Amino acid sequence: MSGSGDQSSLFPSDSGSGDSLQLPELWLQEPGPESDVVISSRMRLARNLDDFHFKSRFQEGECERLEVHLSQVLHELEPDFRYHRMHELSPTERKVMFERHLISREHAADELPRGVSFSHDGTTSIMVNEEDHLRLQVFASGLDLERLDEVINDLDHRIGSQVNYSFDPRFGYRTSCPTNTGTGLRVSVMLHLPTLSFRVDGRTGRGSEQDIVRMQNAAQQLGLTVRGIFGESSRADGEFYQISNQVTLGRTPAETVKGVQSLVEHVSSWERRNRDSHFNENRRRVEDHIWRAWAALTHARRMTSGEALSHLSALRFGVCLGILDEDEIDLAAIQSLMVAMRPGHLQYTADTELTADRRDELRADLIRGALQNN
Amino acid sequence: MLEKGLVALLGGPREPMFHTCDRCDNQASFHLTEIRGGEKSERHLCEECAKVLQVPQANKELQNLLKSFDPSEVSQQGQSKTAKVCPDCGMTYAEFRQNGRFGCAKDYEVFGKEVIALLDRIHGSSLYSGKTPDGKLVIKADVMDEASEFRAQLAEAIEKEDYEAAARIRDQINQIGGRAPDDAPASPTEGE
Ligand SMILES: [Zn+2]
Ligand SMILES: [Zn+2]
Repeated sequence: MSGSGDQSSLFPSDSGSGDSLQLPELWLQEPGPESDVVISSRMRLARNLDDFHFKSRFQEGECERLEVHLSQVLHELEPDFRYHRMHELSPTERKVMFERHLISREHAADELPRGVSFSHDGTTSIMVNEEDHLRLQVFASGLDLERLDEVINDLDHRIGSQVNYSFDPRFGYRTSCPTNTGTGLRVSVMLHLPTLSFRVDGRTGRGSEQDIVRMQNAAQQLGLTVRGIFGESSRADGEFYQISNQVTLGRTPAETVKGVQSLVEHVSSWERRNRDSHFNENRRRVEDHIWRAWAALTHARRMTSGEALSHLSALRFGVCLGILDEDEIDLAAIQSLMVAMRPGHLQYTADTELTADRRDELRADLIRGALQNN
Repeated sequence: MLEKGLVALLGGPREPMFHTCDRCDNQASFHLTEIRGGEKSERHLCEECAKVLQVPQANKELQNLLKSFDPSEVSQQGQSKTAKVCPDCGMTYAEFRQNGRFGCAKDYEVFGKEVIALLDRIHGSSLYSGKTPDGKLVIKADVMDEASEFRAQLAEAIEKEDYEAAARIRDQINQIGGRAPDDAPASPTEGE
C-alpha cells in the first residue's frame, strides 16, 4: 500500500498476494469540507434479495449459495474491487478492517459464510451476509453528503439491475430488522466538538450538559440521534460525536440527507461560535490544555487508546484554533494517528499477539515517533 | 440558540419532547412505553438512570418495544395472532417478537397488522417514501392509510412495469390528502 502523504509509514504495508488482506488507502487522512468540525460522513443502504430467506432463517446451504452468488455479481460489477471471504482472514485482519470501517463489528465476529468487497481507496465497501444480504457503505472525509448520495445511488442502481431486490411500494425495501425497513438508509456524520465537552469537563458546571441534552432533543424531533462515540453514554472520549438518522419510513432519502445536513450545520456553527468566545475568554487555560496534550503525546512511554484519543482531540483543537503551527502538525497527521493507534492496527503491525500493556507501550512509541519526525 | 434555529428550520413549533427523568430532575433521553395487561404506562429516564436501572439499549430497546406489543392488543377479533406462522420460513410472531428480526420478506405480510403498528411506533410512519428500485417512480408517504388499496394497485402496476398507470395511481394516492405530521419520534433503537 502506498498512501499519498508522509503518514503511510504509520500503517502496515501488505505483503499482497493471494488471499492475504490488502488494505485500502486511508481516505480519512485528507481532511474534507468543514474539517474544522466535521471528521467524516458515511451513508449506508440495507438491501435483501427476494429469492432468499433473511439471515435468521437461512435454510441448509442457502447462506453459502447466496455468498457465492453475490460475490460473483459484485465481481462482475466492480472488477477492480477487492473481495475477501471473512473466514479466510485472521481475527487480527478482521479487526483492522473493522477499524477502517470496511466491516461492522458483528461482521468481523460472525461465523456464517460472508464477505466484503471494497474499493482501492477504501471509500466504498459492500458487506455480504451481514444482518442483511447486502450492506452498501460509502465514506468521505469531512462533510460531503450530497456527493455520497450520488455515489451510493449509482452503486445501488447498478447492483439492483443485476439482482432482484426485495421491495414493496408500501414498506419499501424489506429488511431483516424493522428499524431499517423503508429506505434502508443510514446517514451519519462524525463531528469533533471540543468546546461542548470542554464545558462538560466540569469547569463551567452542569450547565454545559444541557447543551448535549438540548442537541439530543432537537435531533429526536427531526428523527435523528446524537451520541458520543469512542465512549460511553453521552460523554464522548475525545469529544467525538455522531449525528445520524433513525427514521427510514415516511421520509425520502433526500429528506433524510437534508435533515442530517441541517442539524450538522447548526451544531457546527454553534461549535464555531463557542470556540471563538471560549478561546477569547480563557486563552491561557485553552493553551495550557493543548500544550499539555502535546507534551504527553511527545514524551509519554505508555498510553491507553482512551488517553491518546483525548490528547489527539486536544491537538486537533489546537490546530483548528491556530495555536499549533500547521507546519509542525496538521489534521492529516492527527487523523492518521487516530486510526493507526487503535489496537487492531498495532497488533497487525507487530504481527504477534500483544498484551494490553505492550500495546500501550507501542502506541506511545508510534505517536512519539510520528510527532517528533514532523 | 440551537433550538431557535431548528424551529426556524422546521417552519414552526412542534410538540415539545422535553420530559424530566422519573428518578431525578435531569432531562430524560429515554422514553419507554410499556403495555402490561392492557394498561399503558410511560417512563422517562435520563441516560444515567437508564443505566442504573439497566434499561436495555440498542437492540434490547427494540426488543422491549416488541414485547410491549401484545398481539391481542392489536387485533381484537377472534383467534390470537400469536399462532400466526410464516408458511415460507416458519417464523412465528412470538419468535419475531423475541429476536426482533424477520425470517423472510413474506413475514411483512404474514404479520401484517402487527408489523404496521410496530413500524408506526419505530418510525412514526409505516409508509414508504422514496424511489422504486429502477428509479422510475418516486412514492411519497404523506397520504392516509386508506390509500392502502391504491398501494396494492400501485404494486401491481410496478410489477407489470406499467409506469404510466403507476404514475396515475400515485397521483390519485397523493390527492387523497396529507397525513398529519408524525407525532411519535423514533425511540433510541438500533446502533449501526
Ligand atoms: Zn435520572
Ligand atoms: Zn417468513
